[in-house]
Amino acid sequence: MLMARVQDGDRESCRLLFDDVGPMVMSFLRRRIADRSELEDVYQDAMLALFQARHTYQPSRPLEPWLFAIARNVAADHAGRYWRRVRFEQLTDRIPESASPEQPQPEPSLRDAMARLPEPQREAFAMLKLEGMTVEQAAARAGTSVGALKVRAHRAYEALKKIIRE
Amino acid sequence: MASAPELSGFENVHRELVERMAAELTPVRRVWPVSTRLALWILLEAAVLLLWIRHGYRSDLTEQLRNPWYLLGVVGFAAAALIAAARALRAAIPGSESSRLGLILMLALAAGSALLLFHEPVDEQAAISTFIGRGIPCATGTLILAAIPWLAMLWAIRRGAPLRAAAEGGLAGAAAMLFSFALMRLACPLDERLHLLVWHLMPALIGTALSACVGAVILRRRRPR
Repeated sequence: MLMARVQDGDRESCRLLFDDVGPMVMSFLRRRIADRSELEDVYQDAMLALFQARHTYQPSRPLEPWLFAIARNVAADHAGRYWRRVRFEQLTDRIPESASPEQPQPEPSLRDAMARLPEPQREAFAMLKLEGMTVEQAAARAGTSVGALKVRAHRAYEALKKIIRE
Repeated sequence: MASAPELSGFENVHRELVERMAAELTPVRRVWPVSTRLALWILLEAAVLLLWIRHGYRSDLTEQLRNPWYLLGVVGFAAAALIAAARALRAAIPGSESSRLGLILMLALAAGSALLLFHEPVDEQAAISTFIGRGIPCATGTLILAAIPWLAMLWAIRRGAPLRAAAEGGLAGAAAMLFSFALMRLACPLDERLHLLVWHLMPALIGTALSACVGAVILRRRRPR
């Protein structure tokens, strides 16, 4: 009944429980996500989701269905974002040349470029570069770890560079 | 210290995360079981029913209750509302979502009860102004009666961890609106097909659809992710 003790605020039980469920969650996610850095992001999101939803666990019920329902939901959210991004990238690949080639293409503004980023990356970039927050502050606001926020920000820079070069 | 092979390459990420969660851990109030919350919601609906009856009901109610078509319609909508409420509450607890059978039963009860409305006569003589004048209080009544149970249901869902926000918002709306439809049938003396379809059923359906939209916005923020 580790989870019941976690609900009561016992830190040692929290460590034991998440050490125990971490491999199960990772194994579950590995079957769905191939990319290593994406897997790291989704793993952290899934573990935090379990932590945030701990009040909904009923000690009289088995843990696994509760755990995997949340992990599945996080993985599905990630898959949805991934496919939206892939669709978007395919669409932009097919954008035709300008209708009037003699006119120069306007430079994309930062706002336009940012609008094309996935939400977590846009948020990470905005907090670090526009609001001037520290990585720790930004991670706390986004509800994620420092490592995951750095990854998101790095991906945002890469995507913005690519968009602006286009 | 976790050193499971599944975490290979992610040990540091895992350790940092677990330590952060342990540091941020606070005691939480466990969500009440679905049966307790459903019982409280039914009590709330019963209180609304009692207040409504004190406010006034159709003069021929005792006579109507002997009419099986009328009774079947009212009970059908109320039963569909209860199933929707139970599903909404269960869906907010990860891993305890109900089977599709409950959803099919709820839809069948609601659709069957709605079909019974076609058994009612049509008043072809009624002027459009009379039709609207008689209808608006019923549409308003349907929405007002549903308001408090709907808010209570949304609050109960928000206390959990809604994973499919729009669907759960829709179920909350269906629970409150279908029950409200049943209550309005006890009060409104007009058993006329178009009146019931336009001023009773349609507001309930629109309310359910709006509830799904509201749920998609306000319950989405409560999703664990």
